[in-house]
This record gives sequence, structure tokens and C-alpha cells, in this order.
Amino acid sequence: MNSPENAPKPVKPEDIEALVEVFQASDWDEMHLQVGDFEIFLSNDPKAMPPGATPAAAAIAAPAAAPANPAPAAAAAGAPTPAAPAAAPEDVPAHWQAVTAPNLGTFYRAPKPGAEPYCEVGQQVTEDTELCLIEVMKLFTALRGGINGTVRRICVKDGEMVEYGQPLFYIEPA
Amino acid sequence: MPIRRLFVANRGEIALRILRSARAMGIETVLGVSAADREGAGPDAADRVVVLGPAPSAQSYLDARLIVHAARATGCDALHPGYGFLSEKPELARLCEEEGIAFVGPRPETIEALGDKMSARAMAIAAGVPTVPGTDHIADIASARKAAADLGYPVVMKASAGGGGRGMFKAATEAELDASFERASREAQAAFGDNRLYMERFVEAARHVEVQIVGDGEGGVLHFGERDCSVQRRYQKLIEEAPASAMPDALRARLHEAAIRICAHARYRNAGTVEFLYDVARQDIYFIEVNSRIQVEHPVSEEITGIDLIACQLKVAGGEALGLTQADIRPSGHAIEVRINAEDPFADFRPSPGRITGWEPPRGPGVRLDSHARAGYLVPPFYDSMIGKLIVHGHDRAQAIDRLLQAIAAFRLEGPRTTLPLAARILDHPDFRANTITTRWLEDRVLPGFAATAPAADA
Repeated sequence: MNSPENAPKPVKPEDIEALVEVFQASDWDEMHLQVGDFEIFLSNDPKAMPPGATPAAAAIAAPAAAPANPAPAAAAAGAPTPAAPAAAPEDVPAHWQAVTAPNLGTFYRAPKPGAEPYCEVGQQVTEDTELCLIEVMKLFTALRGGINGTVRRICVKDGEMVEYGQPLFYIEPA
Repeated sequence: MPIRRLFVANRGEIALRILRSARAMGIETVLGVSAADREGAGPDAADRVVVLGPAPSAQSYLDARLIVHAARATGCDALHPGYGFLSEKPELARLCEEEGIAFVGPRPETIEALGDKMSARAMAIAAGVPTVPGTDHIADIASARKAAADLGYPVVMKASAGGGGRGMFKAATEAELDASFERASREAQAAFGDNRLYMERFVEAARHVEVQIVGDGEGGVLHFGERDCSVQRRYQKLIEEAPASAMPDALRARLHEAAIRICAHARYRNAGTVEFLYDVARQDIYFIEVNSRIQVEHPVSEEITGIDLIACQLKVAGGEALGLTQADIRPSGHAIEVRINAEDPFADFRPSPGRITGWEPPRGPGVRLDSHARAGYLVPPFYDSMIGKLIVHGHDRAQAIDRLLQAIAAFRLEGPRTTLPLAARILDHPDFRANTITTRWLEDRVLPGFAATAPAADA
């Protein structure tokens, strides 16, 4: 990234987001980066600790994306991800977790027109519960939330276009 | 029907360039970006921005279905692919066609036919356009030896599905051929999933010249003069200029005529570039390929003709008449472009992404900057390293060189390392000023020893 003689610049949220994306796209086990006062440690192992760091050091576990997910490949995307850009609305309690769109597409709440929706507000869901469909050019992919808990909010209307990273649901973890 | 709302399926300077022409024509714009490109001069210039997917291009800029879905869902009636990414993938053009979205480029079948070098070569031959003496597909090393003996060494092996120099090897002797044949075949298979190779005579002193054209899709083709892009490293262009002033007028006329002939034959639609190899010793030209997109170096043609080529593209895609005849296109003066890549030319062109901390581009008569960069912009590590293009126009080549050197000297750019110091070295070199360079000049004569001239570390 920056060559060493460049003075370190304030690290912005987008930078961290970009780093997390690089890490997610890689087959690395962990990544440790230090620029001036800024330090980030990413690992696929939830118990991992930064090398030589005190337990208080910032450790951001990588999202439980591809590696740990036994779901079929077509439906593996869309785990709650720290890459989600939009700040949660103010009335969303901090412990609720957003399920975001894995890519741009059209959001459908039910498997087909007229059918029962995959989920409703108040419903208990598990990591493997299908929450909605995301359609791209007639290719429908069921999205799993990856969280055990209760659906607290459905943020998008049936048939709306959603963008990558847009919150679709908020789930209160069990 | 003129375009009402345009989807721009690209990033960086070309996205911004397209957005500006579209806006000037009163066309609404939607820009599709990856999560890494949410903010910047491109998004600021678009009427609407949609985030396609995460930063890796495979999940954003290279996903044709995602892009066409986004274009349709945002109500766009046309799509500009820019250059690179999916611009020359027939799949994107075909999906647009199926969805009733005007693709700002050639028909999918044209892109397909020109994308395969063998079929492009066959098209050139059918149109009576000269090609480098060469062969059809070569199946094995024995046929390669025989073909090389017939053509005369040195020869160059190329991947049929290749491009950008990959899968391409030169052999000066039969021993080299034996060694390079297997390697070229393997590399072609690995890079393109297609191990077919063909062979051409290698031209020792070659310049790269190309003709900018715009076709109406019905066989009508206009040319916008030629460019010389002989300053190359590993088949990547670094500096481009227009016109190709080293070429005699009679040969230049043949060049334009050949470019028009092949594009008329292909009933080419929209903007394209016909690339030729200029054999300086024989004073002859050979067709290389047609690039079925707008190219990085289109601004030098715009500068000498005074015509907005992106606007031409949008008009053709919208079915509008260009309102131009060949006689209206009168090149004047000389234009040169340097690509500004975030790479360290003193350290083997190592990528140098990162935040731009200082950005004060030069201004002045005849100086143009096509760039999405600005102070505070983070050059993301996911995409190609080009952060802009500095272009000058002068009344002749000597003035253009001097203006460009002054512009580079006045450019304050801090943060990433860039190729600008190398560009200055090239422009001020006696061989470049004398215009005696070839496509191997940079690598043979300038780059060796260049790293040793690095300024002391500014730590």
C-alpha cells in the first residue's frame, strides 16, 4: 500500500472495508497490518489473537463467509458482513444485526408470487433459514441470514431493487 | 431513438469521461460501481449511482448479468461499457440486445468475430487489407519448424485467443522456437483456455500505428486520423500521439483506406480502432487487429480533430446521424498523451496504490487532464493502476513535446508513485524528439539503467 516514507494518513471506514474485502477474497488465514497508530488484525479463527498483542487489541473476526459455511454455493453469499456501508437507522438497537444484500438485484420476500413470505417480523430464524430471494436476470438465489435470532425488521419492499451491502433485515440475535 | 438514460458500466477516468459527454448531451446517467468505488469524481458526476457488488471485479464490473440487471432496473435505455472489463465481451452486448438496451459499441457478432485473431485476420484478408505474412493454426512443433523456415527467422508465435502480449513469443532460431513453442502453447491454454497458436514473420523495426474509426453499422465508416503508440512496455502503451508524423503521407493515405475497407466490410457499428504494424524498413503496413471499443488513447484524436468521440458513440448508439462527412474531419496540429499509472518506474513498475495526498494538476493552453483522481482519493488496489491521462495539443510535434514536459514538471502529485518521471525522460530523449523510435525502443534503450537514475529517497 503506502510506501514507508509516506506519512500515515487517518484511516477511514472505507479503508477498513477495502481491507476486509481483500481478506475475504483471499485464501489467507490471517492478516495483520500496522500503519502508524492504526493496527488491524483479521483472522478466520474466532479465537485468534494478534501476534504479540495484549488481549485488549482490536481484533475483528472476519465474517463467517465462505469457509465455514456449509450452505450450497449458490446460496452461500450474504452473511452479515462488516462491509455493510450504511449506518443503521437510529432506532435500531446496537445489538441487532443487519443482513445485507450480497450483490445488486431484485428483492423478493416469497418463493413465488402469491406464496407465503419466507419470513415475517417476529419470526425465529436460524443461521440456515432462507429469508428472501435475490434475483439477477431471472437467476433467483435464496439468501440465508447466517444468524440465530428473531427477525425485527424487514427493510425492503417486495420487488424492489437492492444494492450490494444494503440492509435487508435486522435480526436480534438469540 | 436518441438515448434518454445511460448506464455507465465502468470506473475511473473513462466513467467520468463518458458521464461528462452524456451530461453535455442532456442524457441522464446511472453509474454502476463496486463497493470500492462508491465515492469519487465519477459518482459525483452521475445522476444516480448503484452499488453492484463488492470490490473484486469478478463480482462487480465483470458480471455482465448483474450489470444488465442494474441497467434495466434503473430504467436505462443504453449502456456504455467503456474500455477493459466487459467492453469486448460479446456476452454483455448480447444481453443488452436481448433486454432492448442499446449497447454503445458494435454488434455482439462483430465483437465476437473481431475478438478471435484468426477470424479477424481472415476478415482483413477478405477485405483486401494486408496482414503480416504468417500461418494458420499450427498444430505441432514439426509444422512450426517448417513454417518458420518458410517465413524466415525471426518469427513470433501468438495465441489465437490472446491479446495484450500474453501467449506471445519471439524465436530467432530453431532452438528458440523449440523452447518457446511449448511454453507459448501452455501459456495460451492457461491464460485463455485455448492452446491454439499461429505464427507470423517478426518485423525488426516496427512502429504501432492505429486508425480511429466510427461506423454507422450499415457500411458507412469515417476515420478520425491515425495515432502512433510505439512507446510500449510489455505490449502496454505508455505514450500515444496523433498524427503518426513519422509516416509519409502516401502511406498514411493507404493506412486510412485499409482501416475503412475492413470496417466497411464488417459493417462495423460505433467507435473502433484498427491497429497496424508499420514496417519502417519496408515502408509497409500490416493489419494487426480491430479493437471494438473506445480506447484509452482516444483523446489525442479528439484533440487534433476537435470532435468529441464519446458523443459520436452516444449518437450512433441512439440511432442519430453524426452530421459529419469525411471532409469535415480535418486534423490539425499534434497531440500527445501520457498515461499516469500508479506504479513505481524505478522499482520494476511495482503497483503503488494508496491515498493521493497532494494533487495540483497543471493548467495552460493546450493542456488537458482526463482523470477521476483528486486530493484525498484512495487509489484502490483492486483494479488497473491508471489514475489519469495527461494530454497536450500543440501546433506541431515539437511544441506538443515541450508543452507536455512543462505540464509534467508543473504537476504536483503526492502519495502514490507514478510513471510521470519516466514519461518525462522519454519525451526529452533525443530519439523520441527525432521520432526514430520503434516498439522495442523503450525496453531496449530507455528502461535498462533507468532505475539507477532514481532521485534520492525523499524520506
